[in-house]
Amino acid sequence: MSPALRQMLDPTLFWEYRAVLLQGLAQNLSIFAESAILAIVAATIVAVIQLGRSRPLRWIATGYTELCRNTPEYVLLVWVYFVLPLIISKMIGSRFRLDPHLAAVIGLGAAYSGFMAETLRAGLRSIHPGQAEAAAAIGMSSFKTLRRIILPQALRRILPDIVNQLVSLFKSTTIVSLITVQDIMYQVSMISVAEMRPVPLYTGAAVLYCAVIILATQLFQGLTERWRKRGWS
Amino acid sequence: MAFVDNFNRFVLANLGPLFSGLWVTIYVCFWAFLLALLLGAVVCFIRLRIPYLRFLAIAYVEFFRATPILVQLLWVNYVWPEVFGFPRTVVGAGILALALQSSGYLAETFRAGFDGLPKGQREAAEAIGISRWRTIWRVEVPQVALVVAPMVINQLAVVVKSSTLVSVIAIADLMYAGLKIVNQWYEPIEVLTTIALAYFVLIFSISGVANYAYVHFQTKFGLVAQR
Repeated sequence: MSPALRQMLDPTLFWEYRAVLLQGLAQNLSIFAESAILAIVAATIVAVIQLGRSRPLRWIATGYTELCRNTPEYVLLVWVYFVLPLIISKMIGSRFRLDPHLAAVIGLGAAYSGFMAETLRAGLRSIHPGQAEAAAAIGMSSFKTLRRIILPQALRRILPDIVNQLVSLFKSTTIVSLITVQDIMYQVSMISVAEMRPVPLYTGAAVLYCAVIILATQLFQGLTERWRKRGWS
Repeated sequence: MAFVDNFNRFVLANLGPLFSGLWVTIYVCFWAFLLALLLGAVVCFIRLRIPYLRFLAIAYVEFFRATPILVQLLWVNYVWPEVFGFPRTVVGAGILALALQSSGYLAETFRAGFDGLPKGQREAAEAIGISRWRTIWRVEVPQVALVVAPMVINQLAVVVKSSTLVSVIAIADLMYAGLKIVNQWYEPIEVLTTIALAYFVLIFSISGVANYAYVHFQTKFGLVAQR
């Protein structure tokens, strides 16, 4: 191995700082989990509104999804972190602060709720309306129709898409370091400033992310593929 | 009104820097996207037609698709100059990182397009004596280009989105210009909202073009239905 390559793939710094880096990873994972839940809940509400009857509500929901989908995550994150607390302070008339972790969850959750709402809406609409009518005809309530007839089919169709979006959400959690959440990339930058050796650190981070994401994608897809074919049992 | 006053003071007074930031954003995105198209096409070709280099192309695509853009940006910016001797400037690093990331996605898009073509076409072309290169250029590429056009335009929207991150390595793009004004005056509301809206308009119109291309090609050529 050439010396340049050896320096690039030198893992000693990672081992030395493993405690800090693992804490960073825990931050990433917790932000990922929280914003994924937020995104899914918000997306469900928005998708239901978009398929509903009220026209003004539909417009608002469409505006929300378009706004969230077409604004860069970084811009959204910075906006939530800097601007939102100021607006809330002005509205309630007293000082209001948002901690970076919460701002990151809100920003990423909002950004991905837009994508997920679109997917969910497409999935719900892909089920033929005749099925809902048939269910109504044999006396199922509309909630039961949704739960027993429409959702199981719709979820199977959109699951690969949702998994893809969760993977990109995890990739996006790297940018929370830019609003001073102490995640992996934040720690890596700090260590690189302290040790003055950016080459092995940034290479290691890239390789680490690559490995984690490929493994997680395979795992997710394996699990959901089995469910898609066979059902819950 | 306080909002209008602040808007005049912080946004209108700084339109010069903001517009030069927008120009840098467009410049970076243009070159990154062009480079990504080129790299994506080359990688796709290697993957489909050069069997003993296929594993390299697969590794390339998987690596660049599975690493977050911020990690890649910092990696290209800090590691490549020391190990490979290029890129020499931050703008070069930004363009290269965005291009590498997108080329992975584009290579997959192109591959899906070529895989979607019926195999009989290539065999028919071979049967009437059209050479291999000519088959690619005159038979396959025109069809694939139409099919993948919407996805490719969408990738441009992704490039513009990711380009907000190049401000991190001190490229003076729109986001950088905006954050600079915010750090100067500590009045983020108007400036950041304006920038968010500017990005929204930019990306929304690109997605609009992609959607139009999708619907238009679908109705005009029936291409999407055919696959």
